[in-house]
Amino acid sequence: MSFTLQPVQVATGFDKAGMMVFDEEQRLLAVLVHLSDKNEVAPGQWYLEAGFGRLDGINRPTFADLDAAQEWISQRLAHRS
Amino acid sequence: MHASFPSQDNPLIQKVESVFTFTGDERQALKALPMQLAVIKENEDLMREGDRPSRCCLLLSGFTGTYKVSGGGKRQIVNFGIAGDIPDLHSLHLGVLDNSVRTLTTCQIGFITHEDLRDLCERYPRITAAFWRETLIEGAIFREWMLNIGRREAYSRIAHFFCEMLVRLGAVGLAEDHACDLPITQAELGEALGLTTVHVNRVLQQMRADGLIETKGARLIVPDWDRLKEVGEFKPLYLQLEQEDFAV
Repeated sequence: MSFTLQPVQVATGFDKAGMMVFDEEQRLLAVLVHLSDKNEVAPGQWYLEAGFGRLDGINRPTFADLDAAQEWISQRLAHRS
Repeated sequence: MHASFPSQDNPLIQKVESVFTFTGDERQALKALPMQLAVIKENEDLMREGDRPSRCCLLLSGFTGTYKVSGGGKRQIVNFGIAGDIPDLHSLHLGVLDNSVRTLTTCQIGFITHEDLRDLCERYPRITAAFWRETLIEGAIFREWMLNIGRREAYSRIAHFFCEMLVRLGAVGLAEDHACDLPITQAELGEALGLTTVHVNRVLQQMRADGLIETKGARLIVPDWDRLKEVGEFKPLYLQLEQEDFAV
């Protein structure tokens, strides 16, 4: 599955730079946020700030980069379908 | 090694006496309770779900986490054990354990056989009552945790947790001037409070920025106790302490 990424500013109060992830039908799947270097547990990683539909849940992982995040989203969507 | 722990330092008596008043004889009987002492390093399971123990673990120092694991392998910490706690006291009457307990730091443990505990309880009915009261309060703590995890926002949830730990540690002399050692990692905090580690970290940073807490390594300092209680909606009634606010 291929995704479209679109930058977005997110008002988390901490890490602003984010990315919206859309599926092939331009439906919003997830919002990823780039954690700042000030984050003490996963600096510089991407965090699943919000997931919708099949990505909704209590499992909110962090990823080394956007490729890893998209890979996880793909697996998650395939696994559950 | 079978030995009596130096009685003046036995946190079990201090712990139970924070919610119950013993007579001299009862205190003496508790002090004389035979214990096998052991030092267990951090991140070791003291017991696992499904075990059928023949002894209880009295935590003399250190921190433990009582936990359960979901089908997907995710850990939920349901309680933190501190000095004076017997995290598996229920094993005395429930044959099989429905939870696991792990050391979170190096722990000094006194193993007490069920046989010796039963004997003590038969000879001293008021000690049985004290243990029962302890167990009921543990139930009250679980109820409060359900409210905390299910209904409070993360900021308030963590504030409530800090208030509870400070008061519980104060009751066994391990907190004073609204400060205590709390060697619990942010990941463990997340596992206990149903939050991701990233979220825990953001909230802690916000709490520090707001002047609600200060942290130095494992040391937690609360500069404004009344404000932390207010933020955490913390009312210590459920802890049933004879002296209500140990942290003050």
